[in-house]
Amino acid sequence: MPKFTLDGKEIGFEPGETVMQAAWREGIEIPHYCWHPGLSVAANCRMCLVQIESGRQMAMPQLVLDQATGEYVPATKPKLQPACQLEAADGMVISSTNDEVKTAQAAVQEFLLLNHPVDCPICDQAGECKLQDYYYEHQGTLKRKLTEPVHKPKGVRFGPTIVYDAERCIMCTRCIRVCDEVAKDHVLDMRERGNRNEIILAPGRELDHKYTLMTEHVCPVGALTSQDFRFKARVWFLKSAPSVCPGCATGCNSHADYDPRNGKIYRLRPRDNAEVNKFWMCDDGMMTYTRHDTDRLLMPTVGRGDGRMPVGEHEALILGAEKLQGVDGTKLALILSAQHSTEDNLAMAKLASALGAERLYLAALPSWEGDDILRSEDQNPNRAGATLAAGESPLRPLSDLPTDVQSGTVEAVIALGWASEQGLDALAPLLALDQVVSLTSHVGALPAVASVAIPVGDITEIHGSFINAKGMSQSFRPVLPPPAGVDPAWKTISELARRLGKDLGFDSIESLRAGLVDAAEAAQ
Amino acid sequence: MEPADELLNDEAALELSEDPMRLNMGPSHPAMHGTIRMVMDLDGETVVNLDVQPGYLHRGFEKSCERGTWAQVFPYADRLNYVSPMLNNVGWSLAVEKLLEIEVPERCQYYRVILGELSRISDHFTCNGASAMELGAFTPFLWLLKVRDWVWDILERETGARMTHSFGRIGGMAEPPTPTFKDDVLRVIPELHKVVKETETMLLGNRIFLDRMQGVGVLTKEQALSYGVTGPVARSAGIPYDVRKDHPYLVYDRFDFDVPVGEDGDNWDRFMVRLEEIRQSVRIIEQAIEQMPDDGPVNVDDPRIVYPEKDAVYTTIEATIAHFKLVMEGLRTPKGEVYSFTEGGNGELGFHIVSDGSGTPYRVRVRPPCWYNLASAREMLLGGMIADIIPTFGSVNMIGGECDR
Repeated sequence: MPKFTLDGKEIGFEPGETVMQAAWREGIEIPHYCWHPGLSVAANCRMCLVQIESGRQMAMPQLVLDQATGEYVPATKPKLQPACQLEAADGMVISSTNDEVKTAQAAVQEFLLLNHPVDCPICDQAGECKLQDYYYEHQGTLKRKLTEPVHKPKGVRFGPTIVYDAERCIMCTRCIRVCDEVAKDHVLDMRERGNRNEIILAPGRELDHKYTLMTEHVCPVGALTSQDFRFKARVWFLKSAPSVCPGCATGCNSHADYDPRNGKIYRLRPRDNAEVNKFWMCDDGMMTYTRHDTDRLLMPTVGRGDGRMPVGEHEALILGAEKLQGVDGTKLALILSAQHSTEDNLAMAKLASALGAERLYLAALPSWEGDDILRSEDQNPNRAGATLAAGESPLRPLSDLPTDVQSGTVEAVIALGWASEQGLDALAPLLALDQVVSLTSHVGALPAVASVAIPVGDITEIHGSFINAKGMSQSFRPVLPPPAGVDPAWKTISELARRLGKDLGFDSIESLRAGLVDAAEAAQ
Repeated sequence: MEPADELLNDEAALELSEDPMRLNMGPSHPAMHGTIRMVMDLDGETVVNLDVQPGYLHRGFEKSCERGTWAQVFPYADRLNYVSPMLNNVGWSLAVEKLLEIEVPERCQYYRVILGELSRISDHFTCNGASAMELGAFTPFLWLLKVRDWVWDILERETGARMTHSFGRIGGMAEPPTPTFKDDVLRVIPELHKVVKETETMLLGNRIFLDRMQGVGVLTKEQALSYGVTGPVARSAGIPYDVRKDHPYLVYDRFDFDVPVGEDGDNWDRFMVRLEEIRQSVRIIEQAIEQMPDDGPVNVDDPRIVYPEKDAVYTTIEATIAHFKLVMEGLRTPKGEVYSFTEGGNGELGFHIVSDGSGTPYRVRVRPPCWYNLASAREMLLGGMIADIIPTFGSVNMIGGECDR
């Protein structure tokens, strides 16, 4: 592998790679604004200027003050190169920290702040802003310009999700490139020049494709803000936990940013994964965080319709077990969920075999608009996982269940999850059954037709894994603890089985996962 | 019949035990300054064995420092030796500045010296006044504290607080000197001399005082060295070690002052060394006031270390960012570790700090002079009378906030 030297450290590179790219791969950050590992090179911010110390120096003419005479005399200084555009060559010696480079970085930074508004206290980016970070690291001087800054449009609505502030913008064009190269929709462009230039929408258009939040995500400053996150939280109060998006069968990796003080998730951010989502997530996926605290079932209930009553945690389990006591396995249906983790579904499958039930159904959300970027047509994150958990038993579509109930084939139901393509009307026949137990994190049609509904942990509150459309199993950990008295579904299932006098053979997520490995091996 | 009479009539009960009596003193005892517990075995009134137990005032200073920014350590540092908080403030500033490899402007260095020496004077006033008081001489204590109050008036005018000033800053001080600073100090100096003289008149010819101080609580030079004792306690034992002289920091190398050294290492020498140090501190202050520039910056000129002016913060983005970074993340120090030490009220006050390059200390270790001084107290007290514990322990000047941290 050819190598070059950056600040005394040898870095190997693939031919054709740029200095920035190779350094980034090694975990070394050369200061930059406009460069993004997932986008094309623009080389317009000039923050990544470095000096090539090997080879013949390119000299730039300049005037230097002669201290002795007080006159400016012609001299030269080394010409710096943007690291993001500089193709690495074998044996190249590069400095990103010498005095020439430091001067350049400070100057670039000073220029970027020249007309910047005093917005940090009201800017959502404050605390994770590159301008702030690089000011502290590379500039550290106070304002020298005493004239009024150039004013530009503020609070411009770009679309349903994004607001633009031209004064904060440093014109790195990352948002333009993310629309062009990721969303394949040239909806943003730039107009004017110099300190008057600003980002604009294509005439007659709004920023309304499926990846608009990525423009905000790549914005290194606070110029683009998300309507959803705007003014909701200050980032230094947020903590971050890795998670997996439950929005579709792609299973994009995400960071869930939450406030530990109130246990609320405020946003998702894409987590880089070259195999799955690269650096990106779609808008719908980014918004799945709202599921955590919307339409949750927090209290177990018994009864239906107007007769529905909240009951205590243990009471619900007792009543559920009572209802299922002595149920005929051949008449019992278990509904697995394509929205739940493989582990939860496996626990359901184990419960089915313990109770001698053979009728397994799969509840899933309907297909939605997919694309060839990230979005899978299947908006269920774990159809493959549920199928794996079911093992050799055939997984019937949920649409068959109402007919099976009407025909008397099914007399009792245990349902996992809230999500189903079938609504209340379609599932109405289940209302005729007395023995319908629902284990669910949210309200929905399945819990609504259940005679006993027991709350379980949402996917942000449990250990689990999803198997995505490519067949990759991705595990995740709890971001937040579940609400008081609520357990993960697999635990509740095992408890329900215990009360029915059955031991499902696992008492922790680890022992349950051991069963998952067996299931995966059996599938092969 | 009363039980006591019964005992008196029982001849066996009158016989004294041959075993030493074990006695607890403290941790809640008026003579156990701060909260120290002494467990001693007494043969009559003679201390034959002694265990000095600190730790009752442990508040987790060093661990607390790891939670905030570098600047947020100042209030904690104030509460180390709370009798001379300015010396701790300056000590902490110098430690972080050593890590940052910066030096504060000259005016600030003089300012720090003067405020620090005023603190040292008030520290020694308190210790010597209390020593006299504990031997029954209440008057010198009141006189010394009266003038200490005037010293504190100056500190209050400068810093806004009489005791826990939190006035030091990394890269300077919270405020520049007030316009009347020099005059205020010069006005109180004659009073300092006067009260020291008065104290001497009251005590140095006093038979009771001499008997209780001379030859009591002796710490030999060898013992002092082996325990790592510093400050007035070490100097009274004949070790001429003073950080200001041996490893000059700030501008101490520009002043002409003497380091008083004792011979016997007894209570008397410790008392006299402190009295003389008050005079030497006054000498330093007088020279510093003469040399200190009246104009010029107090803080280093770097918005990444010192808060920019408020009007700049409100009107320019650069200052806003600097302010934001300093408040939210704290000033960033280079990766590494330093040991920085100054002459505190009781000896070498050292800060060993480790930085991981972030805005928060990775590890802070204090070398509290009291800790080592207290360790040697057993040597001073063993074999002495129980009553001598009080003046001897007083002259060690153990300050719980610093010793236990």
